[in-house]
Amino acid sequence: MSSNLSALLSATFYEAGDEHRVELVHQQDRTARRQLASLDLAVYDPEGKHLVAVPMDTHQEILDLGALVGSVAGALPRVMVLLDARYDERIFPYRPHHYGFLHHRGSTAPALYYAVNAVLGGVPDRIGATGLTTLETYIFLRRAFAERYSVLLGNPARFSTAEAQVTAYYATGRASQVVALPPKTHVEMELAAEHAGEHLQRVEIKALFRLASYVVGRRAASGELVLFDHLFSYHR
Amino acid sequence: MAASLRALARRLLGVERTPTYYLPWLTVNGLECALILNNVEVRFEPGKNEGPFPATVVQHDADGTVVGTSEVSVIDTEAAVEVPMAPTASGYGFVTVSMEHLRSDLYVTVSDGGSYTATHGRFEFVETYPLRVRILFAVLGRLLAPFGRTVPAFVRDQYAYSGRDGRSHLLLLNLSNVTNRIRVVAHWDGPPGAARLVAVPPRGARLLDVGTLVPAAEVLTQLALRLEGNAWFNLYLVGAGPRDLAGLLSLMHVK
Repeated sequence: MSSNLSALLSATFYEAGDEHRVELVHQQDRTARRQLASLDLAVYDPEGKHLVAVPMDTHQEILDLGALVGSVAGALPRVMVLLDARYDERIFPYRPHHYGFLHHRGSTAPALYYAVNAVLGGVPDRIGATGLTTLETYIFLRRAFAERYSVLLGNPARFSTAEAQVTAYYATGRASQVVALPPKTHVEMELAAEHAGEHLQRVEIKALFRLASYVVGRRAASGELVLFDHLFSYHR
Repeated sequence: MAASLRALARRLLGVERTPTYYLPWLTVNGLECALILNNVEVRFEPGKNEGPFPATVVQHDADGTVVGTSEVSVIDTEAAVEVPMAPTASGYGFVTVSMEHLRSDLYVTVSDGGSYTATHGRFEFVETYPLRVRILFAVLGRLLAPFGRTVPAFVRDQYAYSGRDGRSHLLLLNLSNVTNRIRVVAHWDGPPGAARLVAVPPRGARLLDVGTLVPAAEVLTQLALRLEGNAWFNLYLVGAGPRDLAGLLSLMHVK
């Protein structure tokens, strides 16, 4: 492959019954399409088992994840989808970020648009971003809602097990969980909405390697997704 | 090349560009909206991580008028201050936050009381046009409007989706002090489809239902939108469920 190509590995999670679309290019103009050189899509179950690899047509603008991976996801609660893209370097320094649309069929919750996690390449590869992307945080509204919160974590590495510490912060207390993620495995880690009578205020994820990470909020009664967001890095 | 031409045009026209952090707000149909101000992202940066961090919050209504100004102080990098947005008749607009002391992304949340959604703001700029340019745009805008056209000084492309259950709106934000006529053209599987011309007041906002740009369909339709405006603008995507604007809504920034 040409050394003039730049990589971007992105990761998201697909759950059965979701309308889930991912944009491959920023926009629909011809220039953007030309700059996406190749794309491979791979799907992994929570234990890291490789379920399918799908070579993609780079002229496609938007992927329908349900159509592509819905059948292989089967009865699994969730699969991790890795998008391994190569872009012509002319697209940089502007980030060839993927964006997504997410809505569970039949859900009364609003449709969610979100930025797909860039776990390797992209900005760090080309424009010298100094952000420490393995130490991230996210702030919650402090009042109580009828919601369950969690973080989705996936390890996109080929060979390395990654240990992550997930710390939930409350007004005065905190609660930490540690998880070891072998290559390609993923997990949803619940965050207690309340701890010693205090509401969840913030979460922090520390890892040695960059992980796929999303903050998730679900309606407590129905499990409907209302929050699916990236975290924020320290050291901007 | 295009960037330097644009910079030259700005200089010739006397356009001022002011760095500004802005976020959208939504209180339609009784939704509650609040910002979360914080400075957590500089927690480990000596020299930047000592509070307090004062900030001024200015809430603009859809017609561009200022409906509220708050002076807020974030005590330290572990603190977060929630700033409720004042509900108005229109129920949407944008809010600016001074960032002289804050170096972190700020959140905007929308709640129906039972659950909430969130996204963050953008640190970009607003543009201020001198009187002669405002008059010029007003004349040109009125001439072109009957033909459904505008001066395409700024162009954005954006994907959006429309379905029976998962709906979308565009929250168009006019980040200038001139009436911004924004032309939105939708494409889906073929030639250009429906187009709308939306006049957004200075520093104002407008909601545009993406579903009005595409024939009603049971399945989710993906649209490629092209937006052209005569002045600087940006947009947020508003996600809705089957109850559309009567239900909880989500917001999302764009590139």
